[in-house]
Amino acid sequence: MEICISESTTSMDKLGVLSDAAKYDVSCSSSGVERKGDGTGIGNSAAGGICHSFSSDGRCISLLKILFTNECIYDCKYCVNRRSNDVPRVSFTPEEICTLTIEFYRRNFIEGLFLSSGILHNPDYTMELIYQAIYKLRTEYRFQGYIHVKAIPGANPIIIAKLGMIVDRMSVNLELPTAQGLSELAPNKHRKTILMPMRQIQQGIKQNKNELVLYKKAPTFVPGGQSTQMIIGATPESDYQIVSVAENLYQKFDLKRVYYSAFININEDRSLPALPGGPPLLREHRLYQADWLLRFYGFKADELLNEARPNFNILLDPKADWALRHLESFPVEVNRADYQTILRVPGIGVTSAQRIVKARRNGALRFEDLKKIGVVLKRALYFITCSGRMMFNTRIEEDYITRNLLTVKERLPFDKDGVTYQQLSLFDDVNFQPESGWASKLIEPKSVVYGQL
Amino acid sequence: MELYLICEDSLEGIFTGIYEAYALKRSHQEIHLQVGEEDNLRLFSEYRSIQADSNKAAKVARTINREFGQEGFMAVCRALASNDAKKGDAIYKMVVSGLAMSDPRKVMSNLANEYVMKVFELARFSANEAHFLIEFLRFKELENGILYARTGPKNNVLTFVMPHFSDRLPLENFVIHDEGRGIYGLHPARKDWYVVTEEEGRESVLSTYKLSAGEELYSELFTAFFHTIAVEERVNRRLQRNMLPLRYREYMTEFQLSKDRK
Ligand code: SF4
Repeated sequence: MEICISESTTSMDKLGVLSDAAKYDVSCSSSGVERKGDGTGIGNSAAGGICHSFSSDGRCISLLKILFTNECIYDCKYCVNRRSNDVPRVSFTPEEICTLTIEFYRRNFIEGLFLSSGILHNPDYTMELIYQAIYKLRTEYRFQGYIHVKAIPGANPIIIAKLGMIVDRMSVNLELPTAQGLSELAPNKHRKTILMPMRQIQQGIKQNKNELVLYKKAPTFVPGGQSTQMIIGATPESDYQIVSVAENLYQKFDLKRVYYSAFININEDRSLPALPGGPPLLREHRLYQADWLLRFYGFKADELLNEARPNFNILLDPKADWALRHLESFPVEVNRADYQTILRVPGIGVTSAQRIVKARRNGALRFEDLKKIGVVLKRALYFITCSGRMMFNTRIEEDYITRNLLTVKERLPFDKDGVTYQQLSLFDDVNFQPESGWASKLIEPKSVVYGQL
Repeated sequence: MELYLICEDSLEGIFTGIYEAYALKRSHQEIHLQVGEEDNLRLFSEYRSIQADSNKAAKVARTINREFGQEGFMAVCRALASNDAKKGDAIYKMVVSGLAMSDPRKVMSNLANEYVMKVFELARFSANEAHFLIEFLRFKELENGILYARTGPKNNVLTFVMPHFSDRLPLENFVIHDEGRGIYGLHPARKDWYVVTEEEGRESVLSTYKLSAGEELYSELFTAFFHTIAVEERVNRRLQRNMLPLRYREYMTEFQLSKDRK
């Protein structure tokens, strides 16, 4: 029925409604899959992902991010598409999705498709529609670009398994960090039904990897891995709870990425926080920084925060904050300390730490060498020695260092005062660049901003 | 006396220059490679024009490839694409320095050497720009179905982006036009790509074709998508500008239309 109505609408109207409703999903990444075209159709995929434009909010546009339909039988309080909202409802047909994807792709507007959806009739019905669209795109149109789809909680595992064989990435949104938050804001959703497809995808990927070892040509299952997203600031969870949830998702569900999305009260729902200062962007930013510490810096959630100190410092990034609370482990001697220890020094990022460990084999490093390597000395100098000496006569004292660190203005990606965006100060490799590969552009720093790419 | 070898701005020209420089059997310090004519001739210097020669160039290419390996060879190729006037001399002296090393394959890690550093920087700039084109280049569909992209890169990177688009659009007839240099990368459907140079003073037939019937629709659809996908509560134009340098926007569909309208 709904589809009949929507067929009279123009593609412009549909695209307007269905991309507007999809924009709150953070991920637009096209990374993680390297695939050449086979010459019989259209498209390929680059492991590093490719951004094709940047919207006025500074976020990367890589995929055609749309909903299949904004019809929905559920009534999640934070969502524009909730049943109780009086908004025009439209649906694409599988054919329309294919044409849009191909025509955008031919013009080099996009890397592929990110298809999500409201729930039409029931989860199975919706998932089947999505499958049909993707199947058509892959077989009839022979599209070999990147495809990311949402797995709809509650859908039949058989459809999810079929779909996983023809897409690059799948995601199931956790929506809210805790089961309690979920039951308050999304009464039709249950934590269990969200975790079930997540588990299924994880196991599918694992099993597929074994098959690929045995038989190289075996079809791949979700080769780009799975991701998820949590809304930040709609419910009262602490940063500690959120970071612990993320840690669990990485460890127990092998997720590729967890995205955090600062809550925007689109529905002006009175039971939800009003947030007169705008969405909690700084908090979201701190969570992304902490997320990097979990994934690349060997930190554990309860090293960063705990019950007594459940939220991040507004003024300092989580790494500097950790260092200031652990002054007993400093200063670190850069010519002797192991990699993991060096990695924990504020002002030293992953690339610099690797370079230090490599370069010091040829002789002791001096402060000027560290600078060339990419260490941000004005932050690191309080925490390190080179051959037994500190750079200046600085004291290892919390208040003193804190004051000095705060004078080095942290550059935030969303500053209103016109501070130039640079890399987030946590990722201190100022000239960090992938060193080889002809497309050795600054891909990483882009990906840092709100976790794009 | 200082000797300046003037060579053509091409792989063949510069490689021939390197060949001739070696053939002179003089100190490399006295010899310089110069790309194109010099306006300010230096006193007490000798200038000699070098005629590009594909055989000599091929010999130099083989030596570089054999001695420096893939990484060094690719760096040289990318540096050749640079629009920097000093590239000829940098490549020549980098080759001299590299061949003098005990392991020439490590040439690109010898960044303390000023010529190697220069080649490294030129190569990186070209590679970056090629990547920008891969991201931001836009095709328009002409009435005969050909996809046509106007571009204006600073460096001569057309040959670096053609393989990427040929792999991804094997069944399309497409053209990438470097307007500044008057060169076209052509890809006929199901065939290999190649590059042609515009004839002096003659306008290309492409400019006589109209856009296809669907072109306006898809340009508008994408432009609309580009605007709706932004979250108003997070608008941050400075961040956008840092990610997407202004000079590319002239060629980008989504900025074209909005500019025309306003
Ligand atoms: S199920 Fe999804 S689309 Fe439907 S109301 Fe909830 S969040 Fe919105």
